[in-house]
Amino acid sequence: MPVNEAGEGPSTTAASETDKHAGLGHANAITRLQQEAMAFRRRTLRNITTDFTVAAKQLQPGELVKDEFFTLFEAVGALEIMDPKMDSGYIPPGDTLDPDFDPSVGLEAGEVIWIMDQLLCLEITWLEGHPLSQTVYTSLHINRLLSPDQRHSDSFHINPGPPPLRTNQDTLVHTVLRAYCIGMIKSSQLALHLIQSQTYFEEEDFVTHLFGRELLPKIDSSAAADSLLEAICWLETCGIAGGLCPALLQRCKFCLDLLRTLAGDAQRWQDMLLDLDQIKDSHHLGSPIPDAFSEKVQRQLATSTPPRPTIQISLDAAHSKWTKLCQEMLSAYELTDSDAIDNSHCLERAVWAFAYRTQPETLARAQMQDLLFSNHAVRGQMPHYDLMLTDLKSLVLAGDPLSNPEIFQIELPTDPRHACSALLREFMEKAIEEFMALYRMVYQNRCRIRRLFTQSIGIWDELQREADAIDDGLRQYPLSSQVLNSGYARTNGPLLSWARYHTSQVLVWTVQLGFETEIYLPDELSKMYWYLSALCTYRNLVIESMLRALLERKRRVRGGSRDAADCVASQQLLMSLLDASKVTESLAAALWKFYYLLGQTGIIKSPKREFAKPDLLHEARMKSYLNVPAGFVTIDLPPADGYESAVEALEQHQTGSHSMKTTTFQAIDEDLKAAKSSLAALKKYTPEQGGYVGTEAEWKKEIKQIETTCVAVAVGLSTLKRLGEKYGDGQRLGLQGLVECALERKYHVWWVIPQLKEKAAK
Amino acid sequence: MSGDSEAGAGKDAGAALRYVCYGKEKESPHLPAIRRLISKDLSEPYSIYVYRYFLYQWGELCFMALDPSDNVIGVIVCKLEPHRGGPLRGYIAMLATRQEHRGKGIASKLVRMAVEKMREQDADEIALETEVDNIPSLRIYENLGFLRTKRLHRYYLNGNPAYRLVLYLKPGIPYKPTYPPEMMPEDGGGGGGDPLHESAGLMSEDLMARQAAQMRIENVEGERHDGMRGPP
Repeated sequence: MPVNEAGEGPSTTAASETDKHAGLGHANAITRLQQEAMAFRRRTLRNITTDFTVAAKQLQPGELVKDEFFTLFEAVGALEIMDPKMDSGYIPPGDTLDPDFDPSVGLEAGEVIWIMDQLLCLEITWLEGHPLSQTVYTSLHINRLLSPDQRHSDSFHINPGPPPLRTNQDTLVHTVLRAYCIGMIKSSQLALHLIQSQTYFEEEDFVTHLFGRELLPKIDSSAAADSLLEAICWLETCGIAGGLCPALLQRCKFCLDLLRTLAGDAQRWQDMLLDLDQIKDSHHLGSPIPDAFSEKVQRQLATSTPPRPTIQISLDAAHSKWTKLCQEMLSAYELTDSDAIDNSHCLERAVWAFAYRTQPETLARAQMQDLLFSNHAVRGQMPHYDLMLTDLKSLVLAGDPLSNPEIFQIELPTDPRHACSALLREFMEKAIEEFMALYRMVYQNRCRIRRLFTQSIGIWDELQREADAIDDGLRQYPLSSQVLNSGYARTNGPLLSWARYHTSQVLVWTVQLGFETEIYLPDELSKMYWYLSALCTYRNLVIESMLRALLERKRRVRGGSRDAADCVASQQLLMSLLDASKVTESLAAALWKFYYLLGQTGIIKSPKREFAKPDLLHEARMKSYLNVPAGFVTIDLPPADGYESAVEALEQHQTGSHSMKTTTFQAIDEDLKAAKSSLAALKKYTPEQGGYVGTEAEWKKEIKQIETTCVAVAVGLSTLKRLGEKYGDGQRLGLQGLVECALERKYHVWWVIPQLKEKAAK
Repeated sequence: MSGDSEAGAGKDAGAALRYVCYGKEKESPHLPAIRRLISKDLSEPYSIYVYRYFLYQWGELCFMALDPSDNVIGVIVCKLEPHRGGPLRGYIAMLATRQEHRGKGIASKLVRMAVEKMREQDADEIALETEVDNIPSLRIYENLGFLRTKRLHRYYLNGNPAYRLVLYLKPGIPYKPTYPPEMMPEDGGGGGGDPLHESAGLMSEDLMARQAAQMRIENVEGERHDGMRGPP
């Protein structure tokens, strides 16, 4: 063990004892590292075994000698050598280091089919997020190709100058299986590259670790494709009987299709779906040869992770997973393959439609991001800045001279349009990232979508501040003043309205995703639906003020002009957004009151919460909404602690002749009626008006889901009424213990519906 | 410093259990039993260093339930540190009860003792993770007042998701500044904070998260923003 002569190496007692002061410990550790770095050049070798033993004897067992850089990471990463559960290099007595299988030996066609199918299973489990060490790497053929000891990295032979291929078995392995393995490895590399080029979460979505191996860097994908073509040529004339040849050809073709598609040379996801069905049908032709796979490979990988079992799935399972992936890839192209993507609202709907399939695979989510974000343009044709400009135009600038892209061309500094376009550009530069993140975030896993949106609340708050400042700047120029200073409050500048609009959407999503990820307990549902409803009320105000400003602009534009048409389109869009927001507002309003009743009647009970205090529970639950840095967002926003006053207001509504429940029931009925009428209004918008071109089916489906949700709430409510009449005393319902309440989200993941059933009498 | 100091009126009359604090003893004779109990449901055991990491630094936050023959029936292991330079966060790293003794309130009792102790030591908040379908565990914590604040995708090695549960002990936590989590390296947010802290601290949580448990015990620390990778 090299240490420096001067004994300036790690001190065995440094920072070990009572030095718990983080700052000081940290400083000590830094000093020590600096000393080590300086001493590094002067190092010599000395045997320190004796010194070490003596020093170690001064410590009590269990005493931890560590500095500030020794974290839980190191503690967890430490292995106990020779513990079979921790030490991946441990070889049990009587076992051998290497698996007893020679990948260069010829195999029967059935065996090659079986190996190919096994690789197909392992490849998809890797793509699903399991490490290579437990999947593809366990193939001894793949291992031979990737082994660092293998100097001929495209061959299964260890020695140069392989013997000539004498038999079909030899050719099946060295030409066919080898090409298949190389094809799989290169496809893996391309998939890895695609995922790594986009936003994803390591470990959660995907494991990129290569364990110190390289994925055949010297072979490019076209060379890999050539090998597969060579294999296909040979198979076509080899004369192997019994349906084995077509089966091998199907597999090679699938491998080639996958490779070419990922390499961007072709788009074969549709063909692969057919290949996969054929592979499934001919899987029975395979003859198992389990010895061709071994977890012993892990012993030689660069890793500190313990030995772990291969992830085994059946070919049927692999078939359905591959099928799902192919369909998701196709969907990514289909959803972005229309002119509708030039419209920010249609694009938003496409993004959500894609994400709200059953959670798409990481590779498909990366593909979709690639389609949207490569070269800062959607599908390479709609630059992000243009997308944002269309968004601004459709929401807050229709009929405004600012929305004309030509003003960006004006270079004359004295022209007010030049100053205005510079200001607009300045704002767009500040906001573009967060605007595009509205699309990017939806491609993360579900749990992350909520958390990322939650984290973006503060950023949007900051953007509102920027927007307001730039709106102020715009007001100074005659170009816009006639439009902007048209009698509205200072806070209604177009950019601030735009930022508010998006902030309100982000806020609404975070609460809705909270329902989806089930972080609210049953007794919190009332409050959170109240908050959702209140956020939508705020959103409605924002949209309504945008509509008022639009009508003002509309009055000023020339009839029949392009501006006039833009104003009409913007108005229809804003109306549809308002109706959609009203649906959420009303349904959430119905539900918060319903859940309030369920709490009052004892049907939903709160946990004991021994250590909790109400105000602290409130802070913990509403943290993301309280924490907005002193901001702008809070103007007009519902106070996060407004639930209690809402309840009070609800209770006050009871009049002499009505018990609380009657008035509450009525209020809920009215909310449901309002939701239904907004839904009816929503149905009338054409795809162009409502901004859902390309996602018509999803739009209809969602409306249907929410309609069904309204019905389910009404049914629940009438059950509660009936039970109340049966058991209640007319004033207060006391139904505890009499009613079963199941919470279902079966119509829509964002809407939790109470399903009530009278308990069977004992 | 003689190890197992009696903690409060730690008697469980029904099961005749003694509840004791691990205390300041460096290597208690109970450590092997604690390890066995916690490892029982893990496919990958923690190394001895993980236990030492917690017990050496926060032995007073570890409690054991012992039967009359001093067998370890249940155990809780915790730590207490500032969270990203902000609130003093207690963290429940491990909790386990022997299979045949579950459902008797032993785990609840252990959590209660740990919470009391952390409160005594001025903790602002307490956090932990547990598997989303571990209903008994969720019930224990939720009955004590913990709220689910996050769902964590594929948190455990077996691919299962987790909930982060949080209990606030003091007012004003949402307003305490913390180091920002490391976000999309390119797409805004930005690293910020102390780079050493970022890389060392956050990585630990990531790895720990993975190595931690498949089981019914609550593991592991902190945010996992570190895992997010942006386009280069």
